[in-house]
Amino acid sequence: MDRTIKDEATRNSGGRDAVSGELFDSLRLELRRGCLVLAVLAQLHEEHYGYTLRRSLSEAGLEIEESTLYPLLRRLETQGLLASEWREEERRNKRFYRLSAEGERIFGLLLAEWNRINDSLNRIVHKRR
Amino acid sequence: MELLKRYLQAVGEHLPRRGREDTLAELRANLESEMEGREEELGRTLTEAEVASILEAHGMPVLVASRYGSQHFLIGPSLFPVYWYTLKRSFPLVVLAYSVVQIAVMFLGSGIPGDLGHQIGAALGHFPGVALTFWGIMTLGFAVFEYGQGRFFPKMTLPKWSVRDLPPLERGEEKKHSFANGIADLIVSVAMIAWLLAVPNHPYLILGPGVKILHGMPFGLTPEWRVFYWQIMGLLVAMVPLKVAALLPAMRRARGWLDLAVSALGVMILVVMVQVRTLFVANATVSAESMRSLAGINAGITVGLKIALAISIVNLGRDLWKEISAGQHRRADFAAVL
Repeated sequence: MDRTIKDEATRNSGGRDAVSGELFDSLRLELRRGCLVLAVLAQLHEEHYGYTLRRSLSEAGLEIEESTLYPLLRRLETQGLLASEWREEERRNKRFYRLSAEGERIFGLLLAEWNRINDSLNRIVHKRR
Repeated sequence: MELLKRYLQAVGEHLPRRGREDTLAELRANLESEMEGREEELGRTLTEAEVASILEAHGMPVLVASRYGSQHFLIGPSLFPVYWYTLKRSFPLVVLAYSVVQIAVMFLGSGIPGDLGHQIGAALGHFPGVALTFWGIMTLGFAVFEYGQGRFFPKMTLPKWSVRDLPPLERGEEKKHSFANGIADLIVSVAMIAWLLAVPNHPYLILGPGVKILHGMPFGLTPEWRVFYWQIMGLLVAMVPLKVAALLPAMRRARGWLDLAVSALGVMILVVMVQVRTLFVANATVSAESMRSLAGINAGITVGLKIALAISIVNLGRDLWKEISAGQHRRADFAAVL
């Protein structure tokens, strides 16, 4: 799916352009950064460990690299938004994450903000069209 | 699984000691789950190439480990503008301090004028090292501050500011006052003072090899110069604190008046020079024709100085008028805003 978006961007920029591609990549990365946190918090209403979380996000249409997701989980836990515990499952120890009480509160605030931004953007974009 | 172990070992080398085992255990569990998932999809055990492909897709060990670090920068985005501003504002001051020290050493230290070219070359050659040291110390200081804030002392908060405290709008002509220009002007002034101080003992500095010819000439500078020389030096030295003050951000509003004061001192220097009616006198008995030539030279230089003085006074008057008008405009603009 990511590749499709990138290919589309390259086509639209007339193929000039590694430069346009790089610019798109950088802008897309900025756009995705906050959204990924929101998606991870939303998904961790249910308990997950790293691999299953990544898979569930992917099944929902949001691809995320392992090397981005796993450190992000650690960071969100350090910030007190997630709680984790080591537990054995299928004969292997895994670290399971779940939203903490503070995480629930922050997620509610972020979701409200996201909805506001989304509504505004929809109005702006549709007005232009 | 040997590839996985090697991969985890490589990642572990770059992880912080604290929490390393925990991170590696989690990474191992996730990667093993991913490999199992892939095996389930294929219905067979993964080949070594397929395992390598999964690990390579996960990322280069050093980069993967870096993402687990708590801080990925020396100077963060909130502190960086302050760092950059400080660097930009203080670098010209480093140039100034270095130049002043080097000039002082050159003219007042060794007293060997023949070495001047050598000394200038050496001073220029050493400057990149000084600049790099300055940059390194500044960067290190800010990096330590970045690391310490929030850990050892409260995070930096920006000072309160008001748009009303910002400097008045600069008009086109006022924009010539750049900080770098001011520093360059100051360096030239200090160099000139040092040069003039050194000239009486080292005439070589003003005439070069021509000083030998001068010794054989029947003319010399009038003894009055000893008095006027110190008057001129005093006026030149008085310019320095005014030029320094003009560089200070706090004196920005008064910059026009400081420049006027410097110009006025310049006019006074010309006034002093015009008072020296006889610049050169004969050392010994010379012919009447030579005396007439000497009188002509003296008169010519005096006329030249008088013309320069007249032009300087006109310029000073014009600048004074501009400054007064600009002050009235600023007051009118401020009143209009209110």
